[in-house]
Amino acid sequence: MTRREFLKRALALGAGAYAAAQTGLLSLLDGVAEAAAAPPTIVVASRRDIAGRVRAAVEALGGMGKFLKRGGSVLIKPNVAWIRKPEYAANTNPEVVAELVRLCRAAGAREVKVMDNPVDGPANRAFSTSGIAAAAEKAGAKVLPATSAAMFQKKQIKRGKVLKETQTLRDLLRADLFINVPIAKVHGTTRVTLGCKNLMGTVLDRGAWHQSDSLDQCIADYAAEVRPHLVVLDATRVLLSNGPKGPGQTRDLNLIVAGTDPLAVDAYGVKLLGLKAEQIGHLKRASQMGVGELDLNRVTVKSV
Amino acid sequence: MYHRLLLLRRISQCLFFAAFLALFAFAGRAALLHLPADLFLRADPLLALSAMLSLRQVLLPLLWYALPVVVLSILLGRVFCGWVCPMGTAIDLCERACRIAGRRPSQAPQWRRLKFYLLIALLVTMLLPVAHGARQQASLSQSLALSAVYVADPIALLTRTLTLAGVPPVQSGLAFARDVNTVWIYGDLAGSRPWLETLLGRVDSALRRFARPDSPPHFRLGLVTLALFVGIIALGALARRFWCRNLCPLGALLGLLGKLSPLRLRVPDKCTHCLRCVNTCKMGAILDDPKQYRGAECIWCAACLAVCPEQAISVTARRADSGRTDKVDLERRRLLGAIGLGLAAAVLPKVDWSAKRTQAGERVLKLSSERLIRPPGALPEDAFVTACVRCGECMKVCPTNTLQPALGEGGLEAIGTPLLVPRMGPCADYCAACAQVCPTRAIQPFLAEEKSHLFLGTARVNRSECLAWAYGRQCMVCQEACPYVAISADLLNGVARPVVDDRICVGCGECEFRCPVEPRGAIRVSAGGDKRHLSRTEQRALRERAPFPGSQPADTAGEGPPEQDIIDKAPYPNPYP
Repeated sequence: MTRREFLKRALALGAGAYAAAQTGLLSLLDGVAEAAAAPPTIVVASRRDIAGRVRAAVEALGGMGKFLKRGGSVLIKPNVAWIRKPEYAANTNPEVVAELVRLCRAAGAREVKVMDNPVDGPANRAFSTSGIAAAAEKAGAKVLPATSAAMFQKKQIKRGKVLKETQTLRDLLRADLFINVPIAKVHGTTRVTLGCKNLMGTVLDRGAWHQSDSLDQCIADYAAEVRPHLVVLDATRVLLSNGPKGPGQTRDLNLIVAGTDPLAVDAYGVKLLGLKAEQIGHLKRASQMGVGELDLNRVTVKSV
Repeated sequence: MYHRLLLLRRISQCLFFAAFLALFAFAGRAALLHLPADLFLRADPLLALSAMLSLRQVLLPLLWYALPVVVLSILLGRVFCGWVCPMGTAIDLCERACRIAGRRPSQAPQWRRLKFYLLIALLVTMLLPVAHGARQQASLSQSLALSAVYVADPIALLTRTLTLAGVPPVQSGLAFARDVNTVWIYGDLAGSRPWLETLLGRVDSALRRFARPDSPPHFRLGLVTLALFVGIIALGALARRFWCRNLCPLGALLGLLGKLSPLRLRVPDKCTHCLRCVNTCKMGAILDDPKQYRGAECIWCAACLAVCPEQAISVTARRADSGRTDKVDLERRRLLGAIGLGLAAAVLPKVDWSAKRTQAGERVLKLSSERLIRPPGALPEDAFVTACVRCGECMKVCPTNTLQPALGEGGLEAIGTPLLVPRMGPCADYCAACAQVCPTRAIQPFLAEEKSHLFLGTARVNRSECLAWAYGRQCMVCQEACPYVAISADLLNGVARPVVDDRICVGCGECEFRCPVEPRGAIRVSAGGDKRHLSRTEQRALRERAPFPGSQPADTAGEGPPEQDIIDKAPYPNPYP
């Protein structure tokens, strides 16, 4: 090749590349590359006060407007399983719930519902003692303990290995935005209770899961079927022993972990509780079902 | 003019009846004007007498409310029966609604002395020696005293009927309404009509406030109690206010007090003997000669005053002017019979088997009492069974529906007394409602924080039924539910199996309630471990000796929390030291 020929070829290639870039051909290739290699992102917010952390975390994920169109309906599902005061770290911190409600309303939500099917009864007692009813109502949400069977409807679990069908909250299936707001706790049966385990509160017939061949597999099956749009893990005060009800040893971590990949958030929560994600049965099975990324090495952790 | 008195009485009856119903409805939810929910029960002199005699102790809270009624009766006779008593009002309402007129006075059975005999029989049972006084000293090895007052006291009867037979259908109805409303909320009906959606939402909020939040309560003995009450009302076919005339021991007591009453009815000579007053008197108090009437029967209903065409009857304080007769006229033989009945009633339960007794500190536990789990703060069994008047208030306020009337668990003398049925509901760790409404202090007051050392019984795991122990399944719901961290995990091949620490377990029943093994649960509370014979201080000391459990198996394989920005405060103080 002569020098002239080389220059001609180089120019042609460059022009071709420029043209390709303009037509978006390269970006297409980029997109493919991105999909293959981009790890899920989770955000860990610290410092500030509770509300500030929640805001910072949601902002870092793109803002509530990214998840919710104006006029949409929201279902916020905190952990309100137990009749315990907030300081016992058995339920989600009420201020976390309240701030999420405020953010949804500011983004133009038509209605924000805060619901759960508590384990302890009477159900409204769990909502009041935990402080969540008062805080959420003040922020402008409708708080509805899901105790009536009429609030649930049958749902098929298509890829379920053990769980084939269940009764799920109607409001969950109708909501435009479903935010899962668990609190990080250890758990006597499942080792930890984070986002995936928190979904059990959206189901009417929990007893059937316990009676089945594998509670862990039921949790994984359900998590594969019902995916929240956003998971906000409350790690303000976590429960380190005698979970899920306590009373036990608590620790004030003052963190919020948020993300769109349920398993990535849960994996980080497991780390916060001082355990290894592969050892958690329901999380491992959920990973096998493709719920998300369990390996934190393949997750981008953004600190804000 | 006397028509106004009649009206006044009817208003008084309505107001007291409404107050009675309101206090009942709000019991356990909100304090109505700072009044105790069991106001009427405390104000009942018969119940007060029974409680104080059975505990051999003056109970000031009862005295405060009962004394005014006693004074009122001394001044005015049985005015309580005519103007206040909710049972009397209920009977009047039913008789009016069903147009029961009873038989003509001349044909109505004259059994009015029966209530006095009944009163005497009840007093005998109260005066018999008790094994446990208020100080819980076992001076006698066996108690002979019996609480039978619950059988015939009208206030206790009415409250019990409302609880066992009234609350379930009302709450079931409200729950049904709420469910129907919920179906409409989620159905297409409300979808396109926002005003309907708002309306249904408002209805839902209102129903959530008044209905028992989750499932409507149900009670054993509901049907029997209802039948008894309907039976008492139905006796009105024989004579108006049959119960009040012939059976009510409270009426008998107040009638006896009324002997001292200075106020009397006076019928002057202008009486034409038309006998309209005799026929109107719902108590059959006026004798054949209308100038004379029985003071122990007159409830001051003012019907005779209003109906007399001559307006002849009036009220006077002068004994000489009035034809009131205070003779009760009990026959000696029948009186002895009443005393004998009282004694027999005390002995009868000894013929049958009965629940555990403490004999000078030793425990004698009968098999049949395995499920006799008493409410927290309950007195030891002997005292409890004599003090409890089976009013049903504790069952009404219990938020989890666990308190149920005993059937055979405690023997004959314990029928109707409250016990825990864990499978129907746990004894919630945050609640102390039952003691707050007990009128006789059969359930001694306690704080919710004390429940961790009020030992009612012990949970026992049946390892051949438990999902984890018998089948190696992943469960541990009992441990999840236990509010006192009494259950720890025994790990085998990665399967956690529950182990109860009986030094910590108080027998609240959360575990049994939640156990998914049908129908009885694989973990069940047994009355063994009940430590009512110990004082509160002793029970607390026992609890403090037990270690605070660690629950989870040691898990040190993790990396621990990340370094950045961890504010490591001291762990939250353990509330169950």
